[in-house]
Amino acid sequence: MSQNASSPAPSRAGLADVLPRWLVPNLSGIHLVAIFIALLLIGLLLVPVAQVMVVAFQDPATGAATLQNFIDFFSTALFRESFWNSFYVSAMSVVVATVIALPLAYITTRFHFSGSILIQSLGFIPLIMPPFVGAVAMQLIFGRNGSVNLLLRDHFGFDIPFMEGLNGVILVQSIHYFPFILINLSTSLRNIDRSMEEAAQNLGSHGLRLFKRIVFPLAMPGYIAGAALVFIKVFDDLGTPLLLNVNNMLAPQAFLRISSIGISDPMGYVISVILVVFSILSLWTSFLFMRGKDYATVQKGGGGMAKRVLKPAEKAVAYGVVIFILLLVLSPHIGLLLLSFGTIWSYAPLPDAYTLQNYVTMWEGSKTFILNTVLYAGIAATLDVIIGTAIAYIVLRTNIFGRKALDYLATAALAVPGVVLGIGYLRTFHGIDVPFADKPMASWWVIIALALMIRRLPYALRACTAALQQVSHALEEAAESLGATKRRTIQKIVVPLMTGGILAGFVTSFATAAVELSATIMLVSSNNDAPLAYGIYLFMQTPSGRGAGAALGIVAVIVVAVGTIASQIIIERDKKLKSSGGEH
Amino acid sequence: MKKTLFATIAATALLASGALAEGKVTVITSFPDSMTGPIEAAFEAAHPQYDLEVLNKKTSAGVKYIQETAGDNTSDIFWASAPDAFEVLKSDGLLAGVTIRSEGIPERIGAYPLNDPDGKYFGFAGAGYGIMWNERYLKANGLEPAREWQDLAKAEYHGHVGMSAPSRSGTTHLTVETLLQGEGWDDGWAQWKRIAGNFASVTERSFGVPDGVNTGNFGLGIVIDFFGFSSKASGFPVDFAYPTVTALVPANVGVVSDAPNEAGAVAFIEYLLTPEGQSVLLDPAIMRLPVNPATYANAPEGFPNPFEDSTIGATVEFDVDKSGARYNLVNSMFDVMITYRLDDLRAAVGAIQAAEAALADSDNAEAKAMIDEAWALIDANPIDEAQSLDPEFAGIFTKKRKKATDEVGARQAEVEQSWDAMVVANYAKARELAEKAAGM
Amino acid sequence: MKKAGIKIENLHLSFGDTEVLKGVNLDIKPGEFFAFLGPSGSGKSTLLRAIAGFGPTPSGRIMIGDRDVVGLDPWKRNVGMVFQSYALWPHMSVRDNVGFGLKERKVPSKEIGTKVDAALDLVGLSHLADRMPNQLSGGQQQRIALARTVVVEPEVLLLDEPLSNLDASLRVHMRRELLRLQRQLGLTTIFVTHDQEEANTTCDRMAVLDRGIIQQVGSPQTLYDRPENLFVANFLGTANILEGKIESDGPERRFVTATGDSLTLPGETTGEGTNIVLRPQNISITRSAGRDSLPGKVRHSEFLGSQIRYLVAAGGAEMVVDQSHQAGQQRIQTGEEVHLQVNTISAVVL
Repeated sequence: MSQNASSPAPSRAGLADVLPRWLVPNLSGIHLVAIFIALLLIGLLLVPVAQVMVVAFQDPATGAATLQNFIDFFSTALFRESFWNSFYVSAMSVVVATVIALPLAYITTRFHFSGSILIQSLGFIPLIMPPFVGAVAMQLIFGRNGSVNLLLRDHFGFDIPFMEGLNGVILVQSIHYFPFILINLSTSLRNIDRSMEEAAQNLGSHGLRLFKRIVFPLAMPGYIAGAALVFIKVFDDLGTPLLLNVNNMLAPQAFLRISSIGISDPMGYVISVILVVFSILSLWTSFLFMRGKDYATVQKGGGGMAKRVLKPAEKAVAYGVVIFILLLVLSPHIGLLLLSFGTIWSYAPLPDAYTLQNYVTMWEGSKTFILNTVLYAGIAATLDVIIGTAIAYIVLRTNIFGRKALDYLATAALAVPGVVLGIGYLRTFHGIDVPFADKPMASWWVIIALALMIRRLPYALRACTAALQQVSHALEEAAESLGATKRRTIQKIVVPLMTGGILAGFVTSFATAAVELSATIMLVSSNNDAPLAYGIYLFMQTPSGRGAGAALGIVAVIVVAVGTIASQIIIERDKKLKSSGGEH
Repeated sequence: MKKTLFATIAATALLASGALAEGKVTVITSFPDSMTGPIEAAFEAAHPQYDLEVLNKKTSAGVKYIQETAGDNTSDIFWASAPDAFEVLKSDGLLAGVTIRSEGIPERIGAYPLNDPDGKYFGFAGAGYGIMWNERYLKANGLEPAREWQDLAKAEYHGHVGMSAPSRSGTTHLTVETLLQGEGWDDGWAQWKRIAGNFASVTERSFGVPDGVNTGNFGLGIVIDFFGFSSKASGFPVDFAYPTVTALVPANVGVVSDAPNEAGAVAFIEYLLTPEGQSVLLDPAIMRLPVNPATYANAPEGFPNPFEDSTIGATVEFDVDKSGARYNLVNSMFDVMITYRLDDLRAAVGAIQAAEAALADSDNAEAKAMIDEAWALIDANPIDEAQSLDPEFAGIFTKKRKKATDEVGARQAEVEQSWDAMVVANYAKARELAEKAAGM
Repeated sequence: MKKAGIKIENLHLSFGDTEVLKGVNLDIKPGEFFAFLGPSGSGKSTLLRAIAGFGPTPSGRIMIGDRDVVGLDPWKRNVGMVFQSYALWPHMSVRDNVGFGLKERKVPSKEIGTKVDAALDLVGLSHLADRMPNQLSGGQQQRIALARTVVVEPEVLLLDEPLSNLDASLRVHMRRELLRLQRQLGLTTIFVTHDQEEANTTCDRMAVLDRGIIQQVGSPQTLYDRPENLFVANFLGTANILEGKIESDGPERRFVTATGDSLTLPGETTGEGTNIVLRPQNISITRSAGRDSLPGKVRHSEFLGSQIRYLVAAGGAEMVVDQSHQAGQQRIQTGEEVHLQVNTISAVVL
């Protein structure tokens, strides 16, 4: 754990030798990397967020420091109600997302079920739909006068208020974010030692009781990790409630108050602070809960979870459940697809007629959006995995002072709502000019990529940390004992062994960055710089643009889905290669 | 491999940063692509030396953007509907006074002065609020289109109406303020609350309303005319009508202070007002009322001409100063009484409507008195008109204090909380009364 | 406790296309301590898991008592199994782990308490009842796993390589402990191991498996002294195997090696094969030839403490010969010509 702190710095004669000694403390390369990352996080995360938050602590009249705004927050009935609504919606979204994810995770990991990989990939798709696009499509399918309710009313004389008020938010959010639970839970389930389950069966347990008492508790760490993510994302999410015209929640309240014309109300900023603090608190709680519960995964002499062969009747039920869930979670995509091929879709279960015109219109106006998206999300995800790998290495393999803080800081980005980051960037970078060009940083496209990078860093960091945890320390020591330097070891041994995890991190970051809107909507300073999600947003602002917007949405989904499935295959292959030696 | 990547990034960077053309004119606008696109194309064809760079933002976000970036401004033009947004920018000193040469443009459109008297912003098109409806929706629900604002308050439209919040959309604010000025402060608010009692939802974006009507999510919407015209032109089964009490207001354009390319900005505005620039407004996807009366000669049949048809938008003499004085206050009141408490309001109004229906054939005076009392509770306003125009009180809701010594007595959160407490209690009480009356 | 015998008849089992058990027949008596011994991949664990009900459903019969359990769900078998990894559930305390099976059997909670205490007593770990499994040492985990299994009073106890995750000194201690418990409870017990010393020291009888087939069943001593085939002979201890043929001269039989040396076979020796198995300790090195001796040359020698092991080229093979070591004794040098005096009473012809 401690070798590299003392490992000699590269002995190249350079600037360092010319400068006075006190200016160049004895730092190894890895120290410099750590300092660089720390500065990056401070500059791109802490400072901008602080710029926004400071308003919450100022008296609006005098600018003096005060906590009065927080007292106002808690004495305002509307805010208390909004807080409760946000909490309720987040908690219920976790419940509904669990109901969706659990059967998918269980069936695909626990049984020999053809199409498991396909299901796992399809299960990832909802995450890569911009949430507001999902909300539009869900309205068309499940809304008051959406396809389902029109049909129900025609044939059965009743309808179901899927999308009314908070219900709508819960439904859209669960469908959008359940993949977080699916992914984490599946991994956890796969890692449960077969004998854990068999021991229980041997002692007379089976079926649901077995699942409840043994399997699920053992998968708990993964489940909690996923559920915490869902909770926080829903708590912070702005687009969905706004699109569904639900105002009595915290994030929309913050946004409405911050972005209203000329309003000085500090409450928007107070709410932002509360959002951030509460999210960090939730993260922290979930960490506390998981501490000491990081159950040793696959043990010596065991194997992964035993896969069972389904009996024909069970198989029919399982396929029924899986198909029903997939239909539900892909309904936004189905709606979007219909919209993209439809002419007019108004108060009818299906569009009036079908056309390709929307795609033509979309293609004429969107090439820049698509290119920009690939560029921004590509830069963001690349930087994310590089920084993620570096932080993971620093945290797990070195004893650099403050390494944990680095980890926490990067993870804290999860708790910063996109709007807050966007406004913070505008404030921080507007006064700084881009080198060699006479324009402020805030309106430079690179800042969009950087914002995306910060927003998605936590995903990549988790993936890289998990990957590094699986690389045995002995493998590095072996390389070092054969004369490889620290740098060569990282290059030739550590990073190649982490490939699967790094790739997974890249895909998650890329896919979710590609459809992000909340931060970018504040930062796009020219339509030429706009990414895809922004393009869809623009299209969807006009009566004639809905179809084209939907077509662009479909393109986004396809681009990201192809990438995801391709990397899934690469990861699987990589996994097989690595485990082929140790097959039991 | 690395080199190629770098080259690609560098090349794209250049591409994305746009041609650093001498004549780049940056426009911040709330208008959709479908409107800015044809105008941009026409302008660049007429003035090839300029390159219009359009940046689409919601009105409120656009104002925010210009305010936030004022220290190092990169925008040349602000281009949006709501005069109030321009008023806000103007009062912050963020609009430049420029001279625009144009011919044949009248002083007023409807009852509204076309240009800012201080020459900071200029009207280039007219627009008025009205009611848009979905034919299929109304047919399926057995409804007739509503033609007047008060019609929307009728019980038959309960749950069928959509509107945007004035705090979210400058033009919606204009509609709200028009009614307040046209009907008087108390009656105006009472009417808004009775209409709002029929709302299906208050949308976050102004486009949410035509969108909701187009998809049939709700049946009728309070929208600005061009949304209605362009939706119809796109083929949706919808139609639009102006009620009697409405204001025709100009959509505006102004030059931002310290504009990097002021000459280009002026050229664009002058072009907008030429006969060629005006005729682009008749594009089926735009459908705005030109401010140059001569342009109407080319308009399609049935297109309203406010310069000939004096019934459109002439009823209300719109008082810009009054509107500006209480801009944020009105928005805040609407949000507190309607947007954030829509469920309570809708339930209360629904209960009263049900009670009225149940008692239609009875002459139970006690019950009728209870219903009147319930309506009075709905109608009650937390503040009177005089207070709304008190600069000190309205100041609670406005932005920057120039000096630290500019003290105000109360905080917005405090005031809103007291309003909220009042309306929540009133709505609950009204509902209780109505339910009691219905049972009599 | 109820003791049940196990009778396995013509058991076949495949993983996909690979047949892992190829017709196993076995009869284990009630109360017997039985071991499955074999190299990895021999099918011993698969056979054990098939008895417990895990893995693919085999064909054939597995009788526990008078019940055929083939196709029966694991939780309906009342067979107790201790896993190689112990499989203690990390989210439950020791007490909850041990009480789990009783709870599943809907035993009243008061009774569960007494039984759990008794079981923990039995393994001597009552004081750890409220610990979590990850706070226990390997040996303690092993004993908890055992307590968890016996507390439900299974008809049969299955142990899958129970000692392989322990360190050497603990292993010896634990195997005695296992034997003590087995004797105390009188449970029919099957013990899977690849370590013959473990099997030898604990079990009453054992079955040696190779490639899915039972090679031989018997007491450890029988199997060692009288292997029925070369695999068993080789697998149990060190064996010198010389090729050759049997020549009979009236009542006297001799084994003539490939090099033409001949060994007299005593009357007890049966078998008609072309190989003779000689254990290293039944050969002694002499300087001069005698009856039943083979000439050879020392290739290598190793000091093992109580013994010196010589590798001697003789009889057409490299033979292992162990000589007990006494202080002051001269070690025979590599390259020396010697004679190997064979005690043919122990010889087995295969």
